[in-house]
Amino acid sequence: MKIDEFQETIHACRFCFMCRHLSAVGNVTFRESDTPRGRALIAGKMQQSMDTLEQDYIDAIFKSEISASCRFHCVSHFDEAGLVIAAREDIVAAGKAPEPVKVVAEQLKNVSFSVEGSGDTLYYVDSYSDKKSAPAGCKTISGGDTGRALQVLGYTADSEAVFAQFANAVKSSGCVKLVTSCPASFYFLKENLNGVEVMHASAFLSSKKGSGEVYYLESDYLKNYCAEFVSPAESLTKLGYSLKPFGTNPEESYTAGEGAVVYDRLYPEVAEKMCKHISELADNPTSDVLVTASPYTKAVLNKYAPELTVKLLDEILVKGL
Amino acid sequence: MSTINYANSMLHSELADAVGKEFVSSNAADQLGHSIDYYWIPELWHDRGFDNPKPQFIVHPATAQEVAKVMKIANKYKIPVTPWGGGSGSQGGALPMYGGIILDTKRMNKVLHVDTDSLTVTVETGINTQHLEWAIEKKGFSTMHFPASIACATLGGFLAHRGTGVLSTKYGKIEDMVMSVEVVTPTGEIINTLPVPRHASGPDLTMLYLGSEGTLGVITKVTLKIHPIPESRKFHAFLFKNMHEAMTAGANIMRSRLRACVIRLYDEPETEHLIKRVLGIDKKGAYLVFGFDGNEKMVDLEMEAACELCRRQDHEDLGTEMGQSWWDNRYKFFYPPFMFHMPQAFGTLDTVADFAHIENVYWAMKNTVNENFPEARFIGHFSHWYEWGCMLYARFIVEEPPHDPEEATLYYNKIWDMAIRAAIREGGVINEHHGVGLKLGRLMPELYGPAFNILESIKTSMDPNNIMNPGKMGFRC
Ligand SMILES: Cc1cc2nc3c(=O)[nH]c(=O)nc-3n(C[C@H](O)[C@H](O)[C@H](O)COP(=O)(O)OP(=O)(O)OC[C@H]3O[C@@H](n4cnc5c(N)ncnc54)[C@H](O)[C@@H]3O)c2cc1C
Repeated sequence: MKIDEFQETIHACRFCFMCRHLSAVGNVTFRESDTPRGRALIAGKMQQSMDTLEQDYIDAIFKSEISASCRFHCVSHFDEAGLVIAAREDIVAAGKAPEPVKVVAEQLKNVSFSVEGSGDTLYYVDSYSDKKSAPAGCKTISGGDTGRALQVLGYTADSEAVFAQFANAVKSSGCVKLVTSCPASFYFLKENLNGVEVMHASAFLSSKKGSGEVYYLESDYLKNYCAEFVSPAESLTKLGYSLKPFGTNPEESYTAGEGAVVYDRLYPEVAEKMCKHISELADNPTSDVLVTASPYTKAVLNKYAPELTVKLLDEILVKGL
Repeated sequence: MSTINYANSMLHSELADAVGKEFVSSNAADQLGHSIDYYWIPELWHDRGFDNPKPQFIVHPATAQEVAKVMKIANKYKIPVTPWGGGSGSQGGALPMYGGIILDTKRMNKVLHVDTDSLTVTVETGINTQHLEWAIEKKGFSTMHFPASIACATLGGFLAHRGTGVLSTKYGKIEDMVMSVEVVTPTGEIINTLPVPRHASGPDLTMLYLGSEGTLGVITKVTLKIHPIPESRKFHAFLFKNMHEAMTAGANIMRSRLRACVIRLYDEPETEHLIKRVLGIDKKGAYLVFGFDGNEKMVDLEMEAACELCRRQDHEDLGTEMGQSWWDNRYKFFYPPFMFHMPQAFGTLDTVADFAHIENVYWAMKNTVNENFPEARFIGHFSHWYEWGCMLYARFIVEEPPHDPEEATLYYNKIWDMAIRAAIREGGVINEHHGVGLKLGRLMPELYGPAFNILESIKTSMDPNNIMNPGKMGFRC
């Protein structure tokens, strides 16, 4: 089984409570099964028997937001996020994925990448953005998720197939630089796309000076997955914005499920709760300006917490407040 | 549909009516999560592939009123109710030994009011203590409650167990931090204790609930003291020739009435192994660290006076850096792989005694473990200091306990029984801050003697149907 590769993590996390305060889903469902410990206990049960695995166990594994805040926090960085993805792979391989997951996976497999426009740089338009957000002078590539969404759902082979199509489309574009605003795609493409320089839009866009008070919501991917990536919060400060700390601490994931890429399509009711939680933590929900690097986070917050003013980092960098 | 299923679904409907459909579950994943706390025995059973006792229902009430409704239902059907906060208790206190209802408090997590005149916070008890601390810090204050499980546990769990944090030596255990509590009684009344902790208006009802471990009701709300964030906090470490020298130094600091915020003394084996492993300090002897906080000038004066007291014993001065390093890494000891883990059997034999007895308690426990269980390692440190004595956080570790869970349980309990009895004989008690729970309940009548009848009478009169956390703290099943 895939989870057997995470034996140490299972053993470390199953009886450990040290990062439970950072379970973004657990903090809104209040369920023990929605914490790293809860999921590691389930992984132990999976190792005992896949045949008699309870549907509730399976649902809990798919309900994780895999923000990786817990891995980031853990002094030994046990890879609970990796364990969850491995558990999903095993569940998918056993043909036991929950129905809504199967439906979304089918949709994600159905990609058709196309390149448009002209320029030396290719801008990837993820499913939560539209082509209008592309920087001037770039070609665009769009037509589906790059494969990260299927990967986090445990559909490894399908993820690879989708990614191969994406890589072909990139190759035929002739561009050697790819830019994306989507932190999940940035992380995934950086790991997998060979021969092409992958940049996050915040490092590519020519930004202009600005002023005003903003709250920056850290991205799961930029903070917890891309250790070497300098937080865009620093760029905002350098540009002249006055940065206020959002919420009560710098550790919790305030992304409403960015780690799971398509969380709102699978568990909209939990995504909504996470958005409400973010709204509750805002100092002044109706007047604060919240900035996120994640098009996903912006989209779900707009949908489920419309009282908040949420701006995409790219917009701020290019246009100001 | 069988009668039992029919009864279950009726009960489910009533609970859903009380707390909302979404907040009642018999979900297998949640049942699994609620069948294992931080007690070694359920961990062992899980490790060996067995199932632990599970709750029939898990409810997540949002208010004291909803808790009260659950109590009334439980009384009607005479079903056990076990409060569950974070499940990080090490004594099996939150385990649903007889099934029934797990009353998970985590949804009651709101900070209700911060009073900046009196420096108090009123808060619901299901809040995670790290979340509480963060919320209070944002307002410029601190609870000063920094247990190693700050991120693991709820405030209610600490109240129920009389928990403690690293800075207890100055700011007190949780029971010293409380102004008043709101409790839902086993029969479903919502009561409040008096608003202030110092009075002459009858016996102290607040203290009856602190440490009651969910056997006398559910604590739903609390008003706690909070503190300004100190201007300065400094640490200093010394290494002493042996534990006795270090104990004398620590006790001298307390007897001098200097107000250290923390003193921690590691015995020689723990200094040699854990301090080396976690802090990289590779020295033989007994490591003592202490700290002061507050106004910087006062901190410097107190620090100098404390160092002076330490220098009277046979010492090596490790300086401030090796003290600060301990503070910076204070939680690291509790993360895997630094924490003990399966297949090891381990237990925290924490106890407390006055200075006249504490070293004897240590040696009695250590000798008992070493002589009767030569395969076990015994280590200890002294974590929480009082004007009159200190707490011993002793641990036994067995690398290869019996594989069979029943045999392992018997073996494990035997170590506990012998070590704790040795502590009691020398003037210690069953426990200092982890509570009694399932693990140590059987020793309660021995500890209290005839006074245990009073505790039992209180329990019987407050909980006539014995629905609240039955079988814990030595009360009847
Ligand atoms: C890594 C680690 C380190 C630890 N370090 C410390 C430490 O430094 N200091 C310390 O004191 N403890 C420590 N503990 C032990 C544990 O965290 C505490 O005992 C804590 O108080 C348990 O809180 P909880 O919310 O997890 O309670 P649970 O384990 O859920 O419950 C504990 C008991 O309290 C009862 N209870 C819970 N909530 C309520 C309520 N609202 N009303 C009535 N009864 C209730 C339960 O029924 C049960 O009997 C540590 C544990 C771990 C895992």
